[in-house]
Parts: sequence; C-alpha cells; structure tokens
Amino acid sequence: MPRLARAREDRMGLLTELKDSISRAASTLFSEQDPKRIGIYGPPNAGKTTLANRIARDWTGDAVGPESPIPHETRRARRKENVEIERDGKSVQIDIVDTPGVTTKVDYTEFLDHDMEKDDAVRRSREATEGVAEAMHWLREDVDGVIYVLDSTKDPFTQVNTMLIGIIESQDLPVLIFANKIDLEDSNVQRIRNAFPQHETVPLSALEGDNMDEVYDKIAEYFG
Amino acid sequence: MPHQCTDCGTTFEDGSTEMLSGCPSCGGNTFQFLPDGADTSPAPEADPPEKTPDRSTSDSTVARTVGSAAATVRDIVGSDPDGAGTDPDAADPLSPSSADETAPSSPDETVDSATDTGTTPDESPDASIMSNMEAGSVQRDSVTTNREDAAQASARSAVVSPGELPETADETDVSGRSQPGAGARGEAPVEGPEDERPDLETLRDELNDQFESIRIVEPGQYELNLMELYERDEYIIALREDGRYRIQVPGDWRD
Repeated sequence: MPRLARAREDRMGLLTELKDSISRAASTLFSEQDPKRIGIYGPPNAGKTTLANRIARDWTGDAVGPESPIPHETRRARRKENVEIERDGKSVQIDIVDTPGVTTKVDYTEFLDHDMEKDDAVRRSREATEGVAEAMHWLREDVDGVIYVLDSTKDPFTQVNTMLIGIIESQDLPVLIFANKIDLEDSNVQRIRNAFPQHETVPLSALEGDNMDEVYDKIAEYFG
Repeated sequence: MPHQCTDCGTTFEDGSTEMLSGCPSCGGNTFQFLPDGADTSPAPEADPPEKTPDRSTSDSTVARTVGSAAATVRDIVGSDPDGAGTDPDAADPLSPSSADETAPSSPDETVDSATDTGTTPDESPDASIMSNMEAGSVQRDSVTTNREDAAQASARSAVVSPGELPETADETDVSGRSQPGAGARGEAPVEGPEDERPDLETLRDELNDQFESIRIVEPGQYELNLMELYERDEYIIALREDGRYRIQVPGDWRD
C-alpha cells in the first residue's frame, strides 16, 4: 500500500517538523543570545537609513540600503541580521530593520519638486504607501525594540510621532529616541527631549558619525 | 465602498471581514476597492469638509469627499432600512465603466451571484478612478452617475441582500445619480447636494469611523490611517492605481 506508506511518512515528517519547531521555540525562550529585532522607525527623511547604514557599516562592513535626500527612498523594510555590537568587552547581537518613513499622507506631487517624472513620482508614492503599511505591520508583529529617529531640526510634535510613540508604548517595547542631524545648525535636541520626556533621547549625527559611542552604549543597554 | 474579488467578482461591503480570509467564493486574495466617490459626484460643494476633516481638505480630495459624502447620505436614506448603508466612506471612486459593465447590465444577477461579474472589474477600474477624480462635476453626467450607482448598488446588494435590489431599482433620485437598474437605493429621496449638506455634517463621525487604512485620493495620492494599518491582521502588500490591492492573509486563516 504505497499510499499508506506515504501517509505514514508524511506523518513522521510532520512529527519531526513539530519537534524541530518545539526545540526552536525552546531555544528562543531560553537563549539570551538570540538577536533582538530592532526596528528603526520615524518619519520620512529623519535619517533612518543613514543610521542603519552607519550601524551596519561600523559592525558588519555592509550597508543596508541607499540613502537619499528625497523622501521615501526606503519603501520596503530592509533587514540586516546578526549585527554584533561590542561594548565593554561584551557583545550584543541585534537584527536591525530599517523601515520606510511613516506618514499619514503620501502625495506624488511632493516628488515632482525633485525633478521626477510624473509616472515615477506616482509609482514612488504608491510604493511608499505600501511601505508605510509594511512598517506598521512590522511594528505589530515582528519587532522586539524600537529606535525612533527624529530630525532634530524639525518640530517633533506631530501626529505621526505622537501616534507611533503611543503605539510603541502600548506594546511595551523598549524604545530609544534618536535626535538625528545634530550637525545641522537648526538642530534642537532639547525640543525632542521635551516632547518625549518619558524616553531616553540620544543626540547624534548618523551622517557625520557624531556621538556614535553613546549611541552604541545605549543600544547595548536597551536592547542587549 | 465595496471591495470586489478580482477573480470571481464577488463583492464585499466596506468593513466586511469575510474577505479577510480570502474570497469565500474562489479563494482569491486580490481585491479591488470601488470607492464611492465616482458615483457620488453629484454633491460637489457640500462634502469637502465632511469626508476627512483633517486630511482631505486638499482640493484634489474634494471630489472624492463629495462623492463619498453623497454616498453616505444615500446609504443612510435609502439603504438604512436594509442595513446595507454602512459602507459609504470608502467606495467613492466607483468606476463608472466597471459599473456599466457589471451593474447596469444585470444588477439583479450581480446580486444573486457576484461571481458572474468577475470579468468586468479588471477592465474598468482605471477608468472609474479617473472619472472620479475629474468628477467633481459628475453630477451632470447622469449617465455616468447612473452607471456608477448601479455598480455600487449591485456591489452593495451583493453583500447585503440580493433580494432587495431588484424591487427598488429604477427609482433612484439621488441628485442625478439615480440608477435605473441598480437603483437599489432608488427610494433615496435625497435630491440635491444642498439637501445632503446638513446630513453630511452629522455624517462626519461616521465617515471618520469608517476611514480605511489606506484611502486612494487619486493615483499617487494616498491618505493613511496608521492605527488601522497597525491593528489589521492582514496587510496590504501591493497597491494599484486602479484601486485594486493585494493583501497578505495570515496563514492560519486559510485552514
């Protein structure tokens, strides 16, 4: 009865799979070394990808994705796994997820200012919207901690920031707020601290590499 | 704002959870969203404010808003009895063309078996959206309106209760949208945009409640409801200009 035999085989395979997945789950539960998945969130053009690239280059030598002054350059979440950060003789392993900038409105006309053809702008807009959906989905499903990146030259009191920080808090996720672009003259870190006093705010310039030591200290402290 | 399966044409009311686990009829997971804006064109002036209090203020959205507002009103008036009228917000840009093909020809049929209509949706969407956009003026084209109405009506009816549609048909008065065939809401006495205005304001809350996770204002312009996106189990993985989108369904939903 080949059919019976196959059925039995299938069942055995299923059992093996089950066993595997149980032991995987157990190892997830008990091993402290499993990398935490850290989502880099924030509004468009805050410097999320620049930061992700800075971290990835510093510790793995690779980049995560292209950076651009045009908003919504990152339209798909990109992950860099097993980034090992060494601090004080210990090493912390994280997966970093660079996410598309979160916004409540995407308008292709915004891209037309950047010398983009309408078709390209519309496509970019559509992809950016999908990207936001994806980023929100990741936030709910797949993230163990959040680095929230803000452009410190801009007003942090926005609907998006408030809503996202609120969601992150409701999830009880560990969160660090990064006040990026401190190399710019208009930078105002205090304004960000005032906006979110309940969270640790770390000033930095991902582009220039300013204050990265503290950045890594905090990452290790919060997500290690 | 009906959603429609692009494979078999089955339609789902806005907010319907049926489709979240894939199309119950054919198992497809690609759906087209038929915004009401197109149909609604009749009430251009009144709506801008109501639809999206905060975000939709922009000019481009006006037509849409209006449409949806009108739809809402119509739903309230006409469909309430049935209980079908809940979907007003999303469906604005109903594609007239799609409507033409699907609804007008045989509203009743669509109702009975949404599957039959399946073919139409694919072709029409682009046209419909475009029409919507331009459409602040839509009121004038009774033709377009009618078609749209029919489509919308059929879509809704399919979801709600097929039986109701046939009877009411032909009577729709709603400011020029009246649908001969589909006029499910035919009774809807709502006449002009003016009439709707007062209602529109009251509808604002309702519209907000129904604000979808992603609203296509026009191709390339989107408004996102972050909480909705966050709270949904499924998520949208591909948008199309024509208003269709693909969603990813959690594995455990399908057996």
